[in-house]
Amino acid sequence: MSESPDRPLEQQITLLELVDRVLNKGVVLSGDITLSVADVDLVYVGLRVLLASVGTLERLHEGP
Amino acid sequence: MIHLYAIAEGLGELPAVEGIGGAELRPRALDDLELVVSEHDGAELEPTEEAVLAHARVVDALAAASSALLPARFTRTFEDEAALDSAVRGQLDDLRRALSRVRGRVELGLRVIGASEDAQPEAASGRAYMEARLEAVARAEGLANDLHEPLAALAVESTHSITAKPRLLVSAAYLVDADDVEGFRGKVAELERAHPELTFVCTGPWPPYSFASPAAT
Repeated sequence: MSESPDRPLEQQITLLELVDRVLNKGVVLSGDITLSVADVDLVYVGLRVLLASVGTLERLHEGP
Repeated sequence: MIHLYAIAEGLGELPAVEGIGGAELRPRALDDLELVVSEHDGAELEPTEEAVLAHARVVDALAAASSALLPARFTRTFEDEAALDSAVRGQLDDLRRALSRVRGRVELGLRVIGASEDAQPEAASGRAYMEARLEAVARAEGLANDLHEPLAALAVESTHSITAKPRLLVSAAYLVDADDVEGFRGKVAELERAHPELTFVCTGPWPPYSFASPAAT
């Protein structure tokens, strides 16, 4: 996922939701589910990053 | 090797969309099921952002062109068609059941983000602190349930994890009849008005990724 702080939160979450679905949901045929990101809630991880940057932005807007 | 995009039912002509890396899509019939695959060199496909988005685009196009669709997870590839066929044959009945579960339905996602974390309680002792934390978690869980339950009532099925993680209150997916999408969104809007302190992100309609696994039935 590319970093683009200009994208609104909702759009970023939609992209995270999409990646989460493709990599972590969907039907698996073989018993073997090995992929580096399995079992990680990508949206949660991504959100933490997003919210951290939103928090920084808010502080910047508030000024010193 | 072979990459699988989805298992479909009632798929007419393949939509004019390219596979991962511009690969050509190929249909593969197996009994009454229709698999859509593409062929690639090498042993595995890297799940790059580009590849993931290409997979999603194919799944979207197939969902629009079929009567029921099980999106495949972007996971291991199959060595050849024989390996794919034997994997499908091993789960034929489960896959048919999963297809009939999602027929005519779509998935909607919901994430509810909480207000900033409560200020740390002024705790006189470690015990008071723990009690205050537990109370905060219980409050968050109660609120998450209050948001999830009226939506689950409008859905055929739902997955919901109470995360108790700071700031991510609700993390849920709902399988909804295509005709009920508007009603569902209306309910989300209503909850949103009732909780102006929370951020609601309702995504979709998605192809039913979260309800495609036979194991989830």
